[in-house]
Amino acid sequence: MKRIGAVLLVGALSLFMIAGCGKKNEGENSSAAEKGGSLVFQIWDAGQKSGMEELAKAYMEEHPNVNIEVQASGWDEYWTKLEASAQSNTMPDIFWMHSNQMYKYADAGILADCTDIVDKDAFSEIALQNAEGSDGNLYGVPKDKDIICLAYNKEMFDEAGVAYPDEDWTWDDLTNASEQIYEKTGKYGYMAYAQDQIGYWNFVYQNGGQILNEDGTEAKFTDEATSEAIKFYVGLQQNDWCPTQNQFANTDATTLFFSEQGAMFYAGSWQLADACANYPELNGKWDVAVLPKCPNPVAGDGRASISNSVTYATAAKGKNKELAMDFLAYLGSEEGQKLQGETGVGIPAYNGMEETWANTFKENGYDIDASKVTDMFDYSVKYVNNPSRPIWEPKVEQTVLDMYAGTVSVDDGIQKMQDVVTAAIKDE
Amino acid sequence: MNKRKKLDQDHVWGYLMVAPTIIGLIVLNVYPFIKTIVLSFSSMKVFGEYKFIGFRNYANMFSSEEFWRATWNTLLFCVLTVPIGVMLALIVAILLNSKIKGKVVFRAIFFLPMVVAPAAVAMVWKWMFNSDYGVINTIFHTKIDWITDPNVIIITVAIVAIWSALGYDAVLLLSGIQNISKTYYEAASLDGATKFQQFRYITMPMVSPTLFVVLILRLMSSLKVYDLIYMMVGESNPAMSKAQSLIYLFYRESFISGNRGYASAIVIWTVLLIGIITAIQFIGQKKWVNYEV
Repeated sequence: MKRIGAVLLVGALSLFMIAGCGKKNEGENSSAAEKGGSLVFQIWDAGQKSGMEELAKAYMEEHPNVNIEVQASGWDEYWTKLEASAQSNTMPDIFWMHSNQMYKYADAGILADCTDIVDKDAFSEIALQNAEGSDGNLYGVPKDKDIICLAYNKEMFDEAGVAYPDEDWTWDDLTNASEQIYEKTGKYGYMAYAQDQIGYWNFVYQNGGQILNEDGTEAKFTDEATSEAIKFYVGLQQNDWCPTQNQFANTDATTLFFSEQGAMFYAGSWQLADACANYPELNGKWDVAVLPKCPNPVAGDGRASISNSVTYATAAKGKNKELAMDFLAYLGSEEGQKLQGETGVGIPAYNGMEETWANTFKENGYDIDASKVTDMFDYSVKYVNNPSRPIWEPKVEQTVLDMYAGTVSVDDGIQKMQDVVTAAIKDE
Repeated sequence: MNKRKKLDQDHVWGYLMVAPTIIGLIVLNVYPFIKTIVLSFSSMKVFGEYKFIGFRNYANMFSSEEFWRATWNTLLFCVLTVPIGVMLALIVAILLNSKIKGKVVFRAIFFLPMVVAPAAVAMVWKWMFNSDYGVINTIFHTKIDWITDPNVIIITVAIVAIWSALGYDAVLLLSGIQNISKTYYEAASLDGATKFQQFRYITMPMVSPTLFVVLILRLMSSLKVYDLIYMMVGESNPAMSKAQSLIYLFYRESFISGNRGYASAIVIWTVLLIGIITAIQFIGQKKWVNYEV
């Protein structure tokens, strides 16, 4: 009898402990901005924390009863935490959503439908598409958009006597310049590393090819334009002026570029602000340009640059959903977007606000012409994505590495990627 | 009667005292473990319904080349790190126990790797092993692809693992050595035993229980290696597919591809592997571990 009593006591104690834990979040069930309340705003980039705090502050000034706390964590940790919180319905009130993960969360009914609070005419097409679930509804408010550009070292171009990259540059100019720079300065030329978004995807779309068809239901690796571009990109490594993938695994292209070992690499627009701040001693020695175009594309005009975007989202069953939606609407307003652009990290998803981002570089004393980068939005291509991407992406990435290592021939590799993606789409 | 009542009261307090630990254990260890077993029989993705699929995950796993490669890598890593690591730790412990100047400083130096964050350790070593600009290739005038050659990478990671664990193991063993009463050595030296004989017949048997604990700890952590591989090899490394350990494979399947069911099966296999190897150790210890003082 006594023993049972003891067990009961232990049970009661544990219940008490659990109850104690659950108490924290109660008592703040505000429904609208006037009533006030506290929101947690979770992001994955510590570099943008102050920018997000700026936005929160602007909102809180208008709504004095609201308190918003911005929390930043690392990328890997962010997704582990978000997943766990989604399963236990304790998600942060506002959080960033990446297009990689959009379908997973939106299609599982975890994200709140934001279709009604987004002014569709004001946002860029690509940013809107990245906020869509499989059903075509918007499951968040577009935050920013990004694009890929060519970063080059001006000093090495001068030393080799090669003209700087401009709008008319083609793939041939890219390889010729690389060769001359390597010959005359001994430094690497264009550093082409195994990467999809910042690497071969751009070449594929410039050549008129595709990775997936428009609605993401079919793999297109074996199409002539696609396979031709992949072969070209992987083949770049055969040149002496391009480091091997083994070398990149030791020292990545960004590090090589900013330690002045190589003259060119493709960079994401989101990396530029960090690069400027981290390498002040190189200020003025490098610049950015539009991507070189394909000289003889199978289809199209040879221009493309992959564009992706980040979305603000909130949980469908969040405790502070109403207030969170109000804040989301603010983040999607002209004022919220403009303020976001002025932080310098993200290009606003809003149409016509690219300049606010590009100007921040000059304002901070960084000598790069970022307006070149934003010019490319005229022909940008949406980041490749479909609901089965988490399944096929690691396998495709592995195949690309195998093609580089020579354990799989490029032709077999392209066929393998085609098969892997086709199978993943079928299973979904 | 009175005495019995007192005992029962003690019981209640006993249960209450252990309750926090037991509850913690159940919530944080036992429940997740059972849940993992249940998940390993499902086609569970990240979100969505539980769907029982029997042994299909296990069948897929055992027919996967990638999986066997990861199992082999894990065992190879274990073979490379455990015997060498424990032996080196024992040597260091004996040296730290001898009468040398600045003993305390040496002890601190050897223990230092334990205090440094593993991410920092991996980054610094990765620089040292850099095949183009690294200090190791420069000093030895070698041209070894330490972190991109699929046949070398496991050795590279093993070197770093041994280095990081050495200090901790040595301190454990040192405490074991210092517990040995000086009288044994005095008696032995009076009888004319050499230093080596003293080590062979006094130190070894007396420190063997500690050595066994160190061995088991090192074995388990080697079989669960993940963080070092994740940080030193990196996802865009051509050698990655050849270098992944079981837990790394689990991480990739679970957190990148979102195959929770399949990933759970990998973990269950790892647990079995650790269980079997530990059981062999416990049987084998009867031959060499001395519990009599």
